[in-house]
Amino acid sequence: MSVDLIFPMGKFEARIPTDRVYSSNHLWLQETANRYRAGFTSYSVRLLQDVYFLDWVIDPQSSVRERQEIGEIESSKALSTLYAPFAGIVRAFNEKLLDDPSAINTDNYGTGWLFDFETDAVPLTPEAYVALLADGWEETQRTLKGQFQ
Amino acid sequence: MAGKKITVVLSQAQGKNPQRRHLEEEIATALIMAPDVDCSVVPHLYDMSHDHTGMLFLRSVPGDLIVLSWLFPRAAHWTLDRAGVKGHEGESLLRDDESDNESDLPQEDDTSLDSIGALDVPNRKIYCIDLRVDDSPQAFINEVRRISDESSIQTVDLMQWINGNPKKDQLERYLHPQQLLQLEVPRSNENGQNRNGQEEDGASNGDSSHQPEPTKRRWYPVIDYDRCTNCMECIDFCLFGVYGIDHRERILVEQQDNCKKGCPACSRVCPENAIIFPGHKTPAIAGADGEVAGLKIDLSKLFGAPSKSALELAVEERDVELVRDGRDAVGMEVGVPKRQTETVATPRDALDDLMDGLDDFE
Ligand code: SF4
Ligand code: SF4
Repeated sequence: MSVDLIFPMGKFEARIPTDRVYSSNHLWLQETANRYRAGFTSYSVRLLQDVYFLDWVIDPQSSVRERQEIGEIESSKALSTLYAPFAGIVRAFNEKLLDDPSAINTDNYGTGWLFDFETDAVPLTPEAYVALLADGWEETQRTLKGQFQ
Repeated sequence: MAGKKITVVLSQAQGKNPQRRHLEEEIATALIMAPDVDCSVVPHLYDMSHDHTGMLFLRSVPGDLIVLSWLFPRAAHWTLDRAGVKGHEGESLLRDDESDNESDLPQEDDTSLDSIGALDVPNRKIYCIDLRVDDSPQAFINEVRRISDESSIQTVDLMQWINGNPKKDQLERYLHPQQLLQLEVPRSNENGQNRNGQEEDGASNGDSSHQPEPTKRRWYPVIDYDRCTNCMECIDFCLFGVYGIDHRERILVEQQDNCKKGCPACSRVCPENAIIFPGHKTPAIAGADGEVAGLKIDLSKLFGAPSKSALELAVEERDVELVRDGRDAVGMEVGVPKRQTETVATPRDALDDLMDGLDDFE
């Protein structure tokens, strides 16, 4: 196992494994054969908290544009639309999550994966992703705070 | 003695949602029978104009008042305040507290430091209760009972206030409580059908001569003066003549019905988040307190939604309305605050609290 990077969110430490790559919309992508498997980073999961519900609005094998809407997620803390990380093709969804999305919380880097994805884009390295988190942290806090008022 | 009765006003839902009607009817039926409360039904608070009989009635209630409505308590409170139904905020224990996580967060007072507050607030309490927090009528009936007990302890104060400087209609109302808009409880009629089924939006009783005048749906901003600092950004921003200034130079939603239906633009511009649109789908804009469960963060931006600042959104929304009115879009050129980005900086460190609260929780 490679050494994980850590991004501190308040007292919480988001673990960013170095055995995979990342997208700026907080997904990890791990290369398997000719495609990537994608899932939420610990940073995303930390902000979401317990996921109750996950739904996809596109079918498997759909071509998507970068930032195209692909699904919806609801958790104890948040509601969000989900977007494609890059232009590419969504090959398959993790069917198990549709009935019970709890693996997103218990094993986000493993059995809680979201979908298989093909893309020619070049994802971020773990280091670049952590740098992006650091850059965006102030802004994220502000956005969240704004919503809490 | 009749004077000890606490007044409960049930404000009906917009539309004809059968579940909502049913809950209203169950509560009203029980409360009308109750000896120590005086229960009336009015149309939806937000939709009543200031001279609607329902509002006139509300203004005539002298003592403590419980208002059950389909609005966040903050929205109900300030809607009433604007209509001249003023009082101190009574605390209801019936709140939406499904999410226990939130209770770990420090409960902060929403009142902003430099807020201008409400004026001419009489010494009585108004308890606003959101009918969406529970499905069971009993929960509301119990809470009314609890408040009624709490309130009768203060009857002496109330008497003093009444004796002090009663307005004629208040005294009248106090001494001879009348059932002005008393709900005719829909005894199930011959067909076992609910008569309200065929009613017009907002009207409560078909053949009753006490039928309140119908209301139509309205849309306008409501200012929370416990947050508002009188900075005047809303009046600069809105180009539709909704805002005005009263004789004490305080900001005021003057021409409510000039506001553009569905437009929440100025609420995004207000640096204090003091502008409430009670009918907006986003709880934070509709007047939810930060602590309210059901208020969820929208993380769409984080997951890649095209990012727009609140100001950009507001300007866009305003342009849409301008164009719809046959006027020219003005973009960022008119009435936009100079300080833009620091708008979002707030003294409240909710995320840290959130994160720390969550850490304690784990
Ligand atoms: S922008 Fe907000 S704080 Fe400023 S005057 Fe308007 S309501 Fe009050
Ligand atoms: S919502 Fe739009 S029209 Fe209504 S008061 Fe605000 S800026 Fe003016």
